Amino acid sequence: MLSRTAENLYWISRYMERAETMARLLDVGYRMSLFPNPKGYHNEWDSVLSAAGASQGYFSKYNEINQDNVEDYLFFDEENPSSVYSCISKARNNALLVRTAFTPEAWVALNKSYKEMLEFKKGKFIRSDLPNFTEWTIQQVNMFRGSANSLLRNDGYHFIFLGTFIERADNSARLLDVKYFVLLPTADYIGGNLDNLQWIILLRSLSSFRAFRWAYEGDVTSSKIAHFFILNNDCSRSLSFCINNIVHHLNSLKCSPNKISDIYSGLKGVHETIKNETVESIIEYGLHEYVTNFVSKISYLDNQIQDQFFG
Amino acid sequence: MFDEMYSEDAQIRQHYLQVNSWLRTMSSTVISQKNYEAESHFKRIGITFSVKDDDMSERIIPFDLIPRILTNYEWSKIEKGVIQRSKALNAFLYDIYNNGEIFKAGIIPEENILKKDSYDQSMINFSPPNKIYSPIVGVDLIRTGKDDFYVLEDNCRTPSGVSYMLENREIMMKMFPDLFHSNRVLRVDDYPTRLLQTLMSLAPKKCDSSVPTVVLLTPGHLNSAYYEHTFLSDQMGVEMVEAQDLFVENDFLYMKTVDGPKKIDVVYRRIDDDYLDPLAYNPNSVIGVPGITHVYKTGGVNICSAPGAGIADDKAVYIYVPEMIKFYLGETPILDNVQTWRCERDDDLKYVLENIDELVIKEVDGSGGHGMLIGPKSSKQEIEDFSSKLKLHPEGYIAQPTLDLSSSPTLINNEISGRRVDLRPFCLLGEKVQLCPGGLTRVALGKGSYVVNSSQGGGVKDTWVLAD
Repeated sequence: MLSRTAENLYWISRYMERAETMARLLDVGYRMSLFPNPKGYHNEWDSVLSAAGASQGYFSKYNEINQDNVEDYLFFDEENPSSVYSCISKARNNALLVRTAFTPEAWVALNKSYKEMLEFKKGKFIRSDLPNFTEWTIQQVNMFRGSANSLLRNDGYHFIFLGTFIERADNSARLLDVKYFVLLPTADYIGGNLDNLQWIILLRSLSSFRAFRWAYEGDVTSSKIAHFFILNNDCSRSLSFCINNIVHHLNSLKCSPNKISDIYSGLKGVHETIKNETVESIIEYGLHEYVTNFVSKISYLDNQIQDQFFG
Repeated sequence: MFDEMYSEDAQIRQHYLQVNSWLRTMSSTVISQKNYEAESHFKRIGITFSVKDDDMSERIIPFDLIPRILTNYEWSKIEKGVIQRSKALNAFLYDIYNNGEIFKAGIIPEENILKKDSYDQSMINFSPPNKIYSPIVGVDLIRTGKDDFYVLEDNCRTPSGVSYMLENREIMMKMFPDLFHSNRVLRVDDYPTRLLQTLMSLAPKKCDSSVPTVVLLTPGHLNSAYYEHTFLSDQMGVEMVEAQDLFVENDFLYMKTVDGPKKIDVVYRRIDDDYLDPLAYNPNSVIGVPGITHVYKTGGVNICSAPGAGIADDKAVYIYVPEMIKFYLGETPILDNVQTWRCERDDDLKYVLENIDELVIKEVDGSGGHGMLIGPKSSKQEIEDFSSKLKLHPEGYIAQPTLDLSSSPTLINNEISGRRVDLRPFCLLGEKVQLCPGGLTRVALGKGSYVVNSSQGGGVKDTWVLAD
């Protein structure tokens, strides 16, 4: 497989995964804005922007947080490299460059998404359209993932899913980092409606609101939520699930065994210890520190993959 | 005007009977529905082309649902004729870069060839594997009568359009499977396999593998035929590479893979000579591979088509092809050329100027239907302007009679109406020489129009060759 092809495949799936994250975050912000609080309405746009890693970009363009601007910035803005629009465009353009490494179905899925996206962008954006747009985005990403399943199980397939899980691990960890304080045991004491809402934000933005209820019996507690997102291997967005899949796809690559064992050695620590962690041990270590450390491991892994395979 | 479906006494020709009755069963609602289906299919798969001077827009070529049908008898003449012609063109290329027998025999004046820009001096005394310079020859044919097929031009560099031949057939089989039960249509879908075999059979002498590594070299996604590049490499299962994926080391060509460098034996290139290698040709080329021609000349890789093969489809060489066939193959040409006047000859120029309103004048170096004058379709002013250009640079032009291109039933606003067509079959030359039974039929969609080029409002049809 050409290095350029592998790199493009890796990024296509990262962009598509990121598009989904953006759509889910927008959905959370939108829902929250519909719930009244004593001062007016809930405003979660600030944390939506930081979870999206878009605060800096946003504030270089706008002076204050305003729902319409945040929605436009995260969904349609071409200047925002992580907007849904940018992600889908880049994924499609990368796919154009590696069409031969794709099945026709996978290409058609991306090309169709892109063409429809252009149509949306032409139309006038109305606030009530947002739920349709986010739902549409999630559908497009699912279509892409589904069609990727028809690929040959060669290295290209594994590069695609390495991209998916590295992006997801990064997105999940960053989101946890923005909201980690609501999962600290002290948050239980504060209790009340607000914190419940904060948990719901977390669950919804990780597309796990209903899944969580199925996975755990009894009351919702911060410790269960932390367990769900960090350690539960049934949760397709948990850090543990992501790291296991990263390791699986990395070890499934048929090319360059030496490079693979090199890369794996940098990851081994996280991969092996996460099996034996408990929520208590992580809290004791420091939830924030744990998540930050995780993010930096993932980013190091990404650098290594770029250097070893795509350089 | 010859009609492909109706005979002179207004009867449906035997081989169109089935298609004709199928057409009668379709209501205009069904027709427009099917047209819409076909169009959205082509859009979704992205079989688009970009138009000259308008490089931002992606368009699809209009597809006509009514197939163009050739009988086995008609095809066998085309097949023999195109193969004969393609062999002669390759023999010509070998000759002019090596012994120059055709000059010595006085058939073609040496200076007519050697001074041409498309004659590549650096190819002198070099012979590519199997002496094949142009492994894929696209021959543009027109028809004026029942048995009258003429060659309008040859394409020896990197003829495009074969993806349409294949995709048009796929969409027809998908939308109208019944048609293929009632008509025995020879398959074309093995073309990519045949192409791969052809390319593998042309591995260079230093290749020691029984399965040579073939790649398709594309200039990139902005090229108007990019879809075809992706389509062919995908169908052949070979890597589609860009120059940035390749490098030269120790007299071999490699591509950068996740496994490290991988040696390449055959490059099916879809970029022009001039851009191939900045060290040997245009030094500003960024889509070429530095040093690739050195590897080529030392037998480390084969480049298909060979640099310098383009001279064979020069319009000034075209007129000599019938004589080439006699000279190299000792055969009588099966397919004739269209009568051609060369304006550089005084007598010809005189004739052309006197009869300009009946002739088609083409630039020797023009392509895609650009820079030409169609006498009968032009205004007085246009003719006058063109005449003065012609007098100024007669060597830059040739003239041909306005040919009565055959007409084929075509759906225009959901109604059947005759429109003029041509045909481009694709000949493959490797260890075997073969012609895939089909080709690209282009159709001039304007009423009475002669211009079939996609860049000027032409469309395409599925082309059938019947098994019996």
